Amino acid sequence: MSVPRARLLELVKAQCQLFSTTFNPEGVRTGNKILRQRLRGPALAAYYPRKMVTIRDLQAEFAPLGLWTEDEKGDDRLEHIAARKARGKGAPKKKSAPPGPKAKK
Amino acid sequence: MSMFRSKKFDLGCFTNVKVIRDHSKRKAFEAAEPERQVPSSPPAKDATTRTRAVAQLQLTQMHCYTRPTQIRNRCIMGGKGRGVLRDFKMSRFNFRMQAVLGNIPGVKKASW
Repeated sequence: MSVPRARLLELVKAQCQLFSTTFNPEGVRTGNKILRQRLRGPALAAYYPRKMVTIRDLQAEFAPLGLWTEDEKGDDRLEHIAARKARGKGAPKKKSAPPGPKAKK
Repeated sequence: MSMFRSKKFDLGCFTNVKVIRDHSKRKAFEAAEPERQVPSSPPAKDATTRTRAVAQLQLTQMHCYTRPTQIRNRCIMGGKGRGVLRDFKMSRFNFRMQAVLGNIPGVKKASW
């Protein structure tokens, strides 16, 4: 005893109505596969660690209380830069205006 | 692309221009992801060659920073783009250094 296809389709249709799924007997591509997927953006955007509290923040926070934290790394860096500058190897000064037209030689 | 760069510096790892660029791309993709999904999933009835082509065109019209294929995992210790171990987000050499120093929990140098 075989069941006619139309009857089966009716059954599937009723099923779809009951469980509120999409009735798609032809199996047409709906693009639901893409829309159903979870968004990947939040996971990808969280790859690099974000900026946390720095020593400078601590200093700013506790300075009114008269407490001071030594920023050893930062101090070393400044010292290094000062030493370079003393030797004439420092970074050039920032220009305040865009360069004018070049003078001909 | 400076319009995608965050106005305030927000990275806490090793930073160079490539890392900042990759970070901006990640954030641009996150912002544009729902917009990208619409042409990626053409509707059922008219999934013809034409609609497909139109959808493809729409995707190519979007800025390249919103494309997920632009994103590359980079080393958070040195910014390198190659030989990065996904689980540790570190390039192989930085991973070795940190592992030997004992900075990575549960990782030990093998010896037998």
